[in-house]
Amino acid sequence: MADIRIDRVTKRFGDVTAVNALDLAIKDGEFVVLLGPTGSGKTTTLRLVAGLEKPDEGRIVIDGTDVTKAQPAERDVSFVFQQYSLYPHYTVYQNLAFPLKSPLLKWSKPEIDARVHEVAGMLHIEHKLKNKATELSGGEMQRVAIGRALVRRPAVYLMDEPLSSLDAKLRAELRVELKRISVELGATILYVTHDNVEAMTMADRIGVLNHGRLEQIATPRDIYQQPDTIYVAQRLSSPPLNLVDPSLFGIEAPAGTSTVGVRPEDITIGQPSGVEGSTTLVERLGAETVAVLQVNGTQIQALVDPQATIGEGETVRVGVAENAPMFFDRDGRRIDAPRAGG
Amino acid sequence: MVRRVRGLSDRAIAWIFVTPTILLLLAINIYPLVWTVYLSFTNYRANRPNREIEWVGTRNYERILSDEGVWENLQRTAHFVTFTMLFQVLLGFGLALLLHKRFKGHGLWTTLILLPMMLSPAVVGMYWKYLFDPQIGIFNYLINGIWDFGTFSMTSEVALAPWAIIIVDTWMWTPYIMLLCLAGLRSVPDYLYEAAEIDRASTWRKFWNITLPMVLPFLMLAVMFRAIENFKMFDLVFELTSGGPGNTTRLASIDLKELAFDRWQTGRSSALAIILFVTVFGAMNVFVKLMNRVKAR
Repeated sequence: MADIRIDRVTKRFGDVTAVNALDLAIKDGEFVVLLGPTGSGKTTTLRLVAGLEKPDEGRIVIDGTDVTKAQPAERDVSFVFQQYSLYPHYTVYQNLAFPLKSPLLKWSKPEIDARVHEVAGMLHIEHKLKNKATELSGGEMQRVAIGRALVRRPAVYLMDEPLSSLDAKLRAELRVELKRISVELGATILYVTHDNVEAMTMADRIGVLNHGRLEQIATPRDIYQQPDTIYVAQRLSSPPLNLVDPSLFGIEAPAGTSTVGVRPEDITIGQPSGVEGSTTLVERLGAETVAVLQVNGTQIQALVDPQATIGEGETVRVGVAENAPMFFDRDGRRIDAPRAGG
Repeated sequence: MVRRVRGLSDRAIAWIFVTPTILLLLAINIYPLVWTVYLSFTNYRANRPNREIEWVGTRNYERILSDEGVWENLQRTAHFVTFTMLFQVLLGFGLALLLHKRFKGHGLWTTLILLPMMLSPAVVGMYWKYLFDPQIGIFNYLINGIWDFGTFSMTSEVALAPWAIIIVDTWMWTPYIMLLCLAGLRSVPDYLYEAAEIDRASTWRKFWNITLPMVLPFLMLAVMFRAIENFKMFDLVFELTSGGPGNTTRLASIDLKELAFDRWQTGRSSALAIILFVTVFGAMNVFVKLMNRVKAR
C-alpha cells in the first residue's frame, strides 16, 4: 500500500490539453474518486498514474518514489480498464493467474492457485473458472477484469469506470463489494467515474475534474454541501441543479451574487411564503417524484413527496427551503453564505 | 407492391442474378471436372480426336500409382511446398512485426516489399534466370562477395536447383504472408498490450500469449492459400528451370503438363490430375479443421 502525489502534471494530445497542471495527493489507504464528464481528463489522469501515458510536465510520486519516467511494470499498480480487457483465448482461471506469473513475482503453483480461488470467491465467479473469457456475460467479464486487478497486492489500484457497462442491479452489488474490499485490504484506490452515485457511495474523497483541472476535492458530504463552484454543484445534483436569478424567489443575496443555485430537493411546494408557479410535467419515478415547474418564465425542477397528489397544469406556490440557496458570483465561484448551524 | 417489381417475385429476381454464375461455373468448372473423371478411365488421346475411345477401367490409376517417377515428383513437390511455407512464414511474420512498428517511411517500405507479389510469375521466373546466371548474374556475385564459393550455378546444379526455386518463390510470395500477418497484428487491440504491461508480463510472454494467438488464424489462412498455390506451382518454375536439371525441379504440375500436352496421354494425365486434386482436397480439409480448432480457442 502506498500514497500517490500528482505534482502539477500536464498532458497534451496535439492541441488538446487533457490534463492541465493537476495537483492531487492521495493518502495511503484512501479511496479517491475522480468525477467528471467525458473529456474532463479523468481517464488520462489515471493512465498517467499507471504509466500508460507520460506527462509533458510535472511529477508523479508513488510511495515516495518519483515514477514520472518509470514504465508501468516498474510502478506496481493494477488497472481495471473500461473495456473488459481480458485475454480472449484464456480461461477465467488463466486470466486471473496471469498477473501472478510475472517474472517479478516468484510465486509457486499452489500459492497462485490459492490466491486465484480466493479472489474468484470474493467476486462470485468461482463456478466460471474453467470457462473461456469469451464465453462470459458482460458482468462476468468485468468481474474477472476486477479480479485480475485484485489478485496481486499492488501499491495502488487504478479503476477506469469499471462498473459503467454493467446493469443497474450488478452495479449496485459490485459498488458495495468494491467498497468492502477497499476497506478490507486497506487499499489505495484511484477510481474514475461519471456517475455521482458511485462517487458518493464509495469515495473517501471526491475530486471533480473540469477540462483537465481539479475544481475541488473533498469528502462526499463536504463536496455536496459546500461546493466551491457552480460546476461542482451541478455535477453532484440529480435531477439538475436549478440556477436562477436572485430576484426570482426574492432571496436575500450577498453582494456580488450573480446566480443562485437551488437543489431540486430544496424547492418547497405549497408553502405560503412561495411565489406563484405552475406544474408542466410530473415524473413519478417510484421512490421519488420530479415536478417540472414554470415560475415567472423560468423552468424549475423540484423533488417532491411521492405521496403528494400534485398534478400537471396546476397552479402552486413555489418556494425555497431556508438556508438552502447557494450563491455564486459572476465567475461561477461560490460566495460563502451564512448558514444556520453551518 | 413491396415484394414485386413488374410482376417478378423476389425469388425469381434472385434466380436471375444467380443463374449466369451457376451456368459459368457448370461450364468451366463442374463439366470439365466430371469430364476429366470420365477421361481418366479411358485411353483417350487429345491429339487423335477421331480414334475410338476405349474404356480401360482403373488401369491408368494403377500405372500412375506404381510409377516410381510419379512418387518422386510428389516428394519433390512436398519438399518445395514445405520449405517455401517454412521460409515464407518466418520471413513474412518477421517483416510484419517490423512494419507493425510505425517508424518513419513505413508506408513506403510496405509498398516496396509488396512489389514482387504484383509481378507475373512467368516474368519473375525469366528475371531470376538472369539473376542466377553464373557469368552475368548478380546473385552469384553477391554470394561470392560474402563467401567465396567459386563458380556455381543455382539453376543447373542438381543439389542447388531445388533450393533455387524455393528462393524465388519465397522472394515473390513472402509479401503475401506478411500482408495477412500485418492485418492480424492490426486486429490486436492495444488495451490487451496495456493490460499485459500493467500485469508486468515479459516481452516474450506478451508475444506468446497475445500476439501469436491473435495472429495465428490469419497466418494459417495465408499458409493455406499459399500451400494450395504451391502444390500446383507451374509457371514460375517452368520458366526458371523447366523442371531441370534432370528431373530435380520437376514438380507435379510440370509432370502433368508434359504427360498431357507433350506426350498426349490425355487419359493417363486425367488420372494424375484427379489424384493430385484429391490429395490437395484432402490435405486442405484436414487443415481447415485444424484452423477452425485454432479459431475456436
